[in-house]
Amino acid sequence: MPLKYRVLTIVALCLLSIWALFPRNITTREIGSDRLMHDVTVRHIPLRQGLDLKGGTYLALEVDDSKQAVPADKKADAIERALKSVRTRIEGFGVSESVVQKQGNDRIVVQIPGIQDPQRARKLVEEQAFLEFKIADKTQALERALPRIDQVIKQRGLTPAGDTSTKTAATATKGLQGLLNTDTTKKSDSTKKGAAGAKKDSATAKKDSAAAADSLKLQPGGAFSSLLEQGGMAGEFYVDQTKIPTLERYLADSAVRAAMPPGKDFLAGSDSASLQGKWYRTYYVVDSKSISTGEHLTDARPNQNTLDGTVVEFSMDNIGGRRFRSETGKHIGDYMAIILDNRVMGRPPVIQGAIGTRGQITMGGRSLADAQDLALVLRAGALPVPLRVAEVHSIGPSLGQDSIDKGLRAAIISVALVVVIMLVYYRFSGLLAVGGLVMYMLYTLAALAGFDAVLTLPGIAGFVLSIGMAVDANVLIFERIREELARGKTVRTSIDEGFRHAMPAIVDSNVSTILTAAVLYQYGTGPVKGFAVTLIAGIAASLVTSIFVVRTFYLLWLNRSRGAQTLSI
Amino acid sequence: MLRILHDTKYDFIKYWKAAAFGTIAFIALGMAILGVHAMRHTSALNYSVEFTGGTVVQLTFTQPPGADAVRSGVDAAGFAGAEVAQFGDPLNYMIKLRASEGVAAAANADSLGANLAHLIEQRLGGTNKVTVGQAASVSASVGSELKGKAITAVLISFVVTLIYLAIRFEWRFGVAATIATMHDIATTMAFLAMMRLEISLTVVAAILTVIGYSLNDTIIIFDRVRENLRKQRKESLRDVLNRSINETLPRSVLTHATVLAATLALLVFAGEVIRPFSWIMAFGVFTGTFSSIYVAGAILLWIEHKWPRTAESENKGTARALAEGRRRERPTPAATR
Repeated sequence: MPLKYRVLTIVALCLLSIWALFPRNITTREIGSDRLMHDVTVRHIPLRQGLDLKGGTYLALEVDDSKQAVPADKKADAIERALKSVRTRIEGFGVSESVVQKQGNDRIVVQIPGIQDPQRARKLVEEQAFLEFKIADKTQALERALPRIDQVIKQRGLTPAGDTSTKTAATATKGLQGLLNTDTTKKSDSTKKGAAGAKKDSATAKKDSAAAADSLKLQPGGAFSSLLEQGGMAGEFYVDQTKIPTLERYLADSAVRAAMPPGKDFLAGSDSASLQGKWYRTYYVVDSKSISTGEHLTDARPNQNTLDGTVVEFSMDNIGGRRFRSETGKHIGDYMAIILDNRVMGRPPVIQGAIGTRGQITMGGRSLADAQDLALVLRAGALPVPLRVAEVHSIGPSLGQDSIDKGLRAAIISVALVVVIMLVYYRFSGLLAVGGLVMYMLYTLAALAGFDAVLTLPGIAGFVLSIGMAVDANVLIFERIREELARGKTVRTSIDEGFRHAMPAIVDSNVSTILTAAVLYQYGTGPVKGFAVTLIAGIAASLVTSIFVVRTFYLLWLNRSRGAQTLSI
Repeated sequence: MLRILHDTKYDFIKYWKAAAFGTIAFIALGMAILGVHAMRHTSALNYSVEFTGGTVVQLTFTQPPGADAVRSGVDAAGFAGAEVAQFGDPLNYMIKLRASEGVAAAANADSLGANLAHLIEQRLGGTNKVTVGQAASVSASVGSELKGKAITAVLISFVVTLIYLAIRFEWRFGVAATIATMHDIATTMAFLAMMRLEISLTVVAAILTVIGYSLNDTIIIFDRVRENLRKQRKESLRDVLNRSINETLPRSVLTHATVLAATLALLVFAGEVIRPFSWIMAFGVFTGTFSSIYVAGAILLWIEHKWPRTAESENKGTARALAEGRRRERPTPAATR
């Protein structure tokens, strides 16, 4: 290639790089302090910063298998649809430059940069709006399991020893014990009535209830049962507001969960009720298997009516409606719990007859605005599958800035050290290599900006490291030129030969590094991917500068000092 | 012209026994320390939360609180088993809760961090402001999946480089370079154990970079060997190897110097987050240099000794293949003998 074109190519590359790195206006839509959307225009260098530099929240969501709402073979498809809902929601709430993407087959990754309140962000995506319809339990499954649960809690030592809450719990127990006793007698009564020919059965039932009563006597009002009060319908319980943390702590224990009646769920309701000056939260026992889900929801609208207060009316598509009709037809007379994100909405209504494509969610005493939000979330993305957060990272903005500052400082010092080493050892040729190094940094950053790569902290580390490695090709070439000169060849020939002989080593060593980086890119996540991208961009830029740019510098120098007998190297 | 180590004639290969003893002793020491760790802690290697699952919270204080105050605050919050460690300067603390230590859901990093910060701030009297620098929670399933991925990445990079070297050089060179790479992983692991560095994703990236760097170095020497063999001198491979190492010595010193300079800049100035990465890279410069000469070189000689190239195979195969730098038929041991 003639010298003129070489110089032109380098100039063009430089201009292109500068253009790629030129600060430009980026307009994003953000929610201001007045909670309205604003277009915010910022002018900055178009290098995208990763969350670890910018600060922000990273969430990985996966399908919550514990609910078994989706068969395994449909999971990938469900994730695909859930992705759309999550994306609509994140965008709808107006967080700028957020990323929502699928990772692998079963995970959704959400990146929300610069968010000040990570908890709000999480709530945003966690609000699954997963709608289920389940039949409220009428077999008194929980009542029967209570002695066992109390036993488990005692064994596990979960009761808070000696603090004031136990005392109040103990006093509150008395009324409940009576309630439980009537329950057990009622049960054995019904067994007597039902089992006319099976005396043995009723006898064992009696024994059971007697044993249960015994265990109750031994431990008056177990830790768990003392928290519950029978509600107004089968499967409904009231829990004192102040005791809810204790209850939730019990429910979080795996042994307690195992002791819960099988095939049933114990869920909190959305309603609170005031009885004798105390506030109670409702809890419901429902069948684990849902008769329908929000998968088939087509529309949701807020409304208010005199009978139920604030409601959200919804409609389903034909498939969902048909299924809903046949299922509700089987359960006429039962109570149907409408469950949103594991919370029973309103009081389960009695199923009067088969219900088709339309229904409503009762919001209790909540405002119309709440109903509007719920309707929006339901419309925009009633998630076809329940999701759970598998991974969350949140980085404060000050930490990110600190990382950038430190990374920049390390980069400057590393450049300075490398420049000194090259100048001291190779003199004039070292100067050419330093010129190449400047181009190298320019090209690398431009490549990162051009490919819209994300700069992470490991990425910066990779960049700093690559500054040290980038001169390797120059060193290889210079050493070859020295060898050729030592053999008594002319300066021009030595330079030509030096470049030619160093080539195989440069190519082989760099290709092997690129292969390793490519493997990293393929299997890495987040920051590590950023590292791999920086490494690959760096190697490519280093090949261009050491082989092409520095060579051109030499040719320029040879042209200017025609017939130079010595080379400072 | 400033020259260092120009035109040297050191007999590097002569010291291979001492070198082998040294490196085996180093690896053995590392493994012994791993064994001690395995007994004292739950696992031999110090995996980060990314791999084990759990929650990690970094708290930043306005005044140095002292490790005991932070620890008692964490204990009071109900996480008695948590690891509390100073992170860089005395104003930063890292609190690590493994998945097994009562952190049920992965979702609670922020609230947990905020709670801890609030509680500790109260206990310190309110004048020392506490902020959450970062918080992360990873579920155990994600962690174990990641571990699998990391191992896959290392194995695949092995296979890829083996194939590339077999194509560009010869199978002997590929095998020697791969064994040198394995050696580097072993010494790096030993180094990890000695420093008790935390294995995070960034550290895995560092290990892979060390592999790449060491391979790079090995290839530079092998390239010289390839070239010197091509010149068809009546020289034994041992002499060719020695000569090649000596010829590439100035380059090695220069490149290692610049890379080490960059690594030290990272180690000293880039902060705590990137420090484990920098340590491994710094160590990698040395182990990479060592393994290029004493592992890759020595193994190459040993393979040559076991399956020597005959004059015939050399003429037909190796020499031409080396001259062209292309792939050739792998000689069967029977044919070459």
